[in-house]
Amino acid sequence: MSASDTTATPASVAPEEVVGHRGWFGALWRSRNGRIGVIIVGVVLVAGLLGIWGITPYGPDAQDPGMVLKGISLSHPMGTDQFGRDVFSGTLQGLGVSLEIAFLSVLIAGVIGTIGGIIAGFLGKWTSAVIMRMTDMMFAIPTVLFALAIVTALGPGIVDSSIAIGVGWIPIFVRVVRSPVLALRESDFVRAGRVLGFSRLRLLWRHILPNVAGVVAVQTSLALAWAIVAEAGLSFLGLGPPPPTQSLGDMVNNSSSLASIAWWTLVGPSLAIVVAVIGFNVLGDGLRDASDPRTRTR
Amino acid sequence: MNVVLAIGRRILSVLVTLLGVSVIIFVVLRLLPGNAVSASMGVSEGLLTHAQVAALDRYYGVGQPAVEQYFSWLHAILTGNLGVSLSLQRTVSYLVGLDLPVTIELALFAMVLGIVIGVGFGMWSALHPGKWQDNIGQAVSVVGLAIPSFILGTVLVVLMSSKFHYFPSSSSFVGFFTNPWLNFQQIIFPAFVLSLGIAAAILRTTRGAVLEVSGLNFARTALGKGVSRRAFIWRHLFLNSLTAVVTMSGIQLGYLLGGTVIIEQIFILPGMGSLLITAIHNQDYPLVQSVTLIFAAGFVIVNMFVDLMYSLIDPRTRNR
Repeated sequence: MSASDTTATPASVAPEEVVGHRGWFGALWRSRNGRIGVIIVGVVLVAGLLGIWGITPYGPDAQDPGMVLKGISLSHPMGTDQFGRDVFSGTLQGLGVSLEIAFLSVLIAGVIGTIGGIIAGFLGKWTSAVIMRMTDMMFAIPTVLFALAIVTALGPGIVDSSIAIGVGWIPIFVRVVRSPVLALRESDFVRAGRVLGFSRLRLLWRHILPNVAGVVAVQTSLALAWAIVAEAGLSFLGLGPPPPTQSLGDMVNNSSSLASIAWWTLVGPSLAIVVAVIGFNVLGDGLRDASDPRTRTR
Repeated sequence: MNVVLAIGRRILSVLVTLLGVSVIIFVVLRLLPGNAVSASMGVSEGLLTHAQVAALDRYYGVGQPAVEQYFSWLHAILTGNLGVSLSLQRTVSYLVGLDLPVTIELALFAMVLGIVIGVGFGMWSALHPGKWQDNIGQAVSVVGLAIPSFILGTVLVVLMSSKFHYFPSSSSFVGFFTNPWLNFQQIIFPAFVLSLGIAAAILRTTRGAVLEVSGLNFARTALGKGVSRRAFIWRHLFLNSLTAVVTMSGIQLGYLLGGTVIIEQIFILPGMGSLLITAIHNQDYPLVQSVTLIFAAGFVIVNMFVDLMYSLIDPRTRNR
């Protein structure tokens, strides 16, 4: 696109400069997607942390009978709801809950899926076949339905929702991690390590894992975007964490009956979801640009 | 002969997958904490005769080891017995028979809309890379991917009912054969909302595939020998991108089926999604189990047909 953020370097430049001396963050910052993604996700994370720590302009549950269903103003940037609660404060708190569940679920999916993917790629034919067969079967159940089935069994709650959302994403991590591991296994440096008598664990930990970190990072960002949507969907259906915990999905659901007379009650939480989803998606694209030299010129 | 063998192998692998799916669903619903059958029995135990309770116990294998429970469930399903919904006091087959057509109609409409929007904008983008048409396409895909369907659905319902005083779902749902026009109005809006998400993914795939194909030698040759633009676009670019588009459409069906659950709630459609939510709220495990299995079966079977379609679409894959 613009000439300023191109990193297509002439052949005369030393290779280490192509990779970038500022490390992975420098590479991320140099791609346009990466920069936009980092900024949006940064804002979303700060807003979510404020919500988690309770640093909001008003108490999220503080009711003000004199300020019922007031529109957008300087003192209430997202208006107030039917109890006179500040929608902005509620959104910050809801965003905090949504992010907690999203991060926890992606942690579950990422750790299990990455381990599964590495094992499936590195170990023998049989182990690989069994793991891939299982991911095929899990793939056959649409992720939202998988989450609903698990919520049915576990009941609602922050950890329960996280498990429900995370499990469905495990096969995606397995697949994404497995294919580069298959290629790495046959690469010269891993063969050299094997000849040198490195243990399997050392090969996996020191040689394979760092090389799939990029793929995992991209997938983590995309998974976070999806997890936020999935969590909001579950809460929207009334299957999220029980009250008084309120996530963004609950707020969208609650405001749907109000929205015809007070549109701002719907806009606040919806905006938070959409911005967070765009942020993590763009950050994922940026991470991909940064870790894949072929697309880095964009 | 080869074709028959290939189809046979696909069907076998589908069956194995579905068997695995049934195990996963069983494990998730039965072996996690909480005794499924007793929990749902609590609601209606008083309404059942002793013989009925005994029959249900036998059906769900109450008191037997988990493995035997699974096999008694599997055996029942394979003989066409989907079980009984305890909360709704109906057989699952009866409920599914009522609700499945609604979801199939919704999914079909959404799929067609999604493919038309996705392929249309994707081709438009790819034929004008870097131009304003491309930017519009990119914008459609960003919006489609970033706005969750339940937000879009809620906004649409609010706008329609409060600003335009038009909400066809306010009267109860009618079947296609009873009143096609009202049925169409009730289906088209939720289908549109559902289609945007898959349209975005199909758009990206189409754009990528068409761009890739248009860079190949045969495309340049076709242009060079003076093939008309219309023939070039549809015969040379589109047909050669079709495999990727069809694959993506098959994958997106999973998201679509998941999406129907939420969209049916918003637009008050009595489909499988609504049935599932009712079942979950009632802790009606047998119903959840069967409905989830049916969704998964639909997804797997459609993707089997997608796989089999490759050889129709792309002669190059026939010899493999």
